[in-house]
Amino acid sequence: MPRRRVRLVTISCAGVPFRAAAGAIAAAALVLASVPVRARADAATGTIAGVVRLVARGDTPLRSGAYPSRRVNRPAPRPSEIANVVVYVKDAPAAADLPVTRAAIAQRDESFVPRVAAITRGSVIEFPNFDPFFHDVFSLSRGATFDLGRFPKGDKRERTFTRAGIVKVYCHIHSEMSATILVFDHRLFTMPAADGTFTIDDVPAGTYAVTAWHERIGGTSRTVTVEPGGRAQVEFSLPVVADDTEP
Amino acid sequence: MRTTPPRFAVRTLIVTLATVAFVLSAALLVAAISVRDRVRAGVVDKLETGQHLLAALEERRGQELRAQVATLAENPTLKAALDTYQTELHTSGGAGRQDLVATIARELNKLAARIDADVLAVADESGTVLAVAGRRGDEWSSRRAAGGSDVALVTVPTGVFRVTSVPMMLQGTELGTLELATALDDRYARELADLSGARVLIVSGGAVIASTLGSATMLALTPAVIHALPGLDVVTLDGEEYAVRSLLEQRAAQVFVLDSIDASARPAVQAALQTMGLIALGAFALAVLASLWLARTIARPIDTLSRSLSVMTQSRDWDHPVPPGGDSLEVETLTSAFNTMMQAVKAAEAETLNAYLGTIRALAVALDARDPYTAGHSERVSAISVAIGRDLSLDEGQLEVLRLGALLHDIGKIGISDHVLMKSGPLTPAEYEMIKQHPGVGARILRSVAFLEPHIPIVELHHERPDGRGYPHGLHGHDIPVLARIVHVADAFDAMTSARAYRAALPMSDAMRELWRCAGSQFDAEVVQALTRTLPRLEREAPAGARGEAAMRLVRA
Repeated sequence: MPRRRVRLVTISCAGVPFRAAAGAIAAAALVLASVPVRARADAATGTIAGVVRLVARGDTPLRSGAYPSRRVNRPAPRPSEIANVVVYVKDAPAAADLPVTRAAIAQRDESFVPRVAAITRGSVIEFPNFDPFFHDVFSLSRGATFDLGRFPKGDKRERTFTRAGIVKVYCHIHSEMSATILVFDHRLFTMPAADGTFTIDDVPAGTYAVTAWHERIGGTSRTVTVEPGGRAQVEFSLPVVADDTEP
Repeated sequence: MRTTPPRFAVRTLIVTLATVAFVLSAALLVAAISVRDRVRAGVVDKLETGQHLLAALEERRGQELRAQVATLAENPTLKAALDTYQTELHTSGGAGRQDLVATIARELNKLAARIDADVLAVADESGTVLAVAGRRGDEWSSRRAAGGSDVALVTVPTGVFRVTSVPMMLQGTELGTLELATALDDRYARELADLSGARVLIVSGGAVIASTLGSATMLALTPAVIHALPGLDVVTLDGEEYAVRSLLEQRAAQVFVLDSIDASARPAVQAALQTMGLIALGAFALAVLASLWLARTIARPIDTLSRSLSVMTQSRDWDHPVPPGGDSLEVETLTSAFNTMMQAVKAAEAETLNAYLGTIRALAVALDARDPYTAGHSERVSAISVAIGRDLSLDEGQLEVLRLGALLHDIGKIGISDHVLMKSGPLTPAEYEMIKQHPGVGARILRSVAFLEPHIPIVELHHERPDGRGYPHGLHGHDIPVLARIVHVADAFDAMTSARAYRAALPMSDAMRELWRCAGSQFDAEVVQALTRTLPRLEREAPAGARGEAAMRLVRA
């Protein structure tokens, strides 16, 4: 793995500072691995570890579109919903030497799979179409406004995300399709394993707000203090509404 | 003064027509009322059916609207923009929101233009309206969406809207609400009116906001009436009766359908009245004909009867009975009763006549009886006169006049004193003058009895002579009635053949000779000739000595 220190240009936008690396370096650092790579070990760092649990939300009944009088209780979320969770350190300082990755969000069965992706700034996401009909990918988000157009089965489009933030992508043809791409300009994020456990390494010692983000309920934060060489534990219980659109 | 009563036909006509008119007008009235009642029930039924139908239609329309709005809510751009908007709002404090709202507004405008919506609005999760489009979108800005999926009536300052709202969902999450609002305006009222076939009235807050009623009817819709409308089945507006049903009743607005009972009833009543009018005309015509025929049937026999009666009265011909004509028992009975009565009258008259005759005869006999020499003279003269008259072919009426006149010819001698009348010696000129007055006295006596009028000439003129030397008037020849001439001859003949105090009776031949001698001067020759011809028969029937009795018999016959 190439380790190279690059000169960073700091720019400010909407009050949130972040850094952009030069395009050539980013291109050179392009790898296909989907897991963030530790760039540098530091004696003054610790680890944040924990677990995310999805719990049923029983407070408000679900509203149905077709029958206004009928209300159904919300079922418990599926365990697979854990794939739609991203845990990250909020307000982490922007890192200079971000690894550039290439990830894929497939279009399968009229749905984006996976529906949530977390990438470092500058990474590329491919959108391969596996359905026997046309799909489209577009976004209206401030961080990346684009429309990749329609393309048939077997074809694919890709997009490089150069600004940190949340990018929501949709399909113009199928209004029920949506996916969320979280673009970070640091490496302090991860997606929990199927059992909900997660680990974020190389966190500089200090006190942080750790956020567990789910595509439908947004972020939930906990405060943790990371000791040098220590292992801070944090636990999340996300009241997730079951998504009956997912097969 | 008594006025002439109307003709029978007029009376029956009036009575019949009045009866028919009364019955017909009663029937017309009943028919009009019953038709109106039926139509009213029909209208109320129709409205009730319409109400159910419209309620079902409205329900379905609501579902269709919901489906339409739900389809609109699936617009990918709209959803993406709204979803992105919300995400951005949560993560980056809303920077760049304006672009997204503009995108939403643009999409909304396109959709609203495509479906010609009054108002199309998008609200976020919290109910804040993000964008509004549509013809009347401006009126919507201040509103907060209620959220959820429902059909409701919503009042904004400028009007009342019927709102269909549908949640916009993305993968099980509610992004916000899409609202489609239709103004409850005149256009909506007209649509409903077309559907229901009745008038539509939309009321909000006690005031009319839309209607398809006429302006005069609208004036009658006072707040009190509007307030009472929900509880009414029938309402009278501007003199017209309307059946009323509530179509939609919510706090924000009420929709009523109204149908004029009068307008619906009018053609039916008119048709019924037309038919009845034709029937009435026919009935009148029939009644006129029937009453005229009836009047004729009843009046004609009476007419005939009265006409023949008046003919009878004028001609004084009582001998022929009135023919029993006519088609009814009553007239027959009347005719026969009249005939019976006439017979009784005739019998009574004959009886009276006989009584008169008896009296007159008694008078004549009494007169003759004053002088033994003239006993039976009047009756004999009567018999001889009738015999002569028969020979001269006089008719029965004249013979009857002759018989009675001859009997009475000397009635005037009542006024002559006995010594003159029965004097055996010759008369002095004064006495003769007294005798000469008896025809005039007799005529005066007879004048006082009406039915003896025809006999007066005989009595008055039976001493006139053809040569004009008779008395009392000295008439000549044919100026003297033939009956008087006959009685003159018969009188002379009987006087000559009867004994007198101063002489014996002459034989008949001598008397005839004497008559013939004076024929043409003193006596009428024709009459003398007739006497000559009839004499043998007189002689045969009355032999000498019994002539008086024979004459009496003749008279009696």
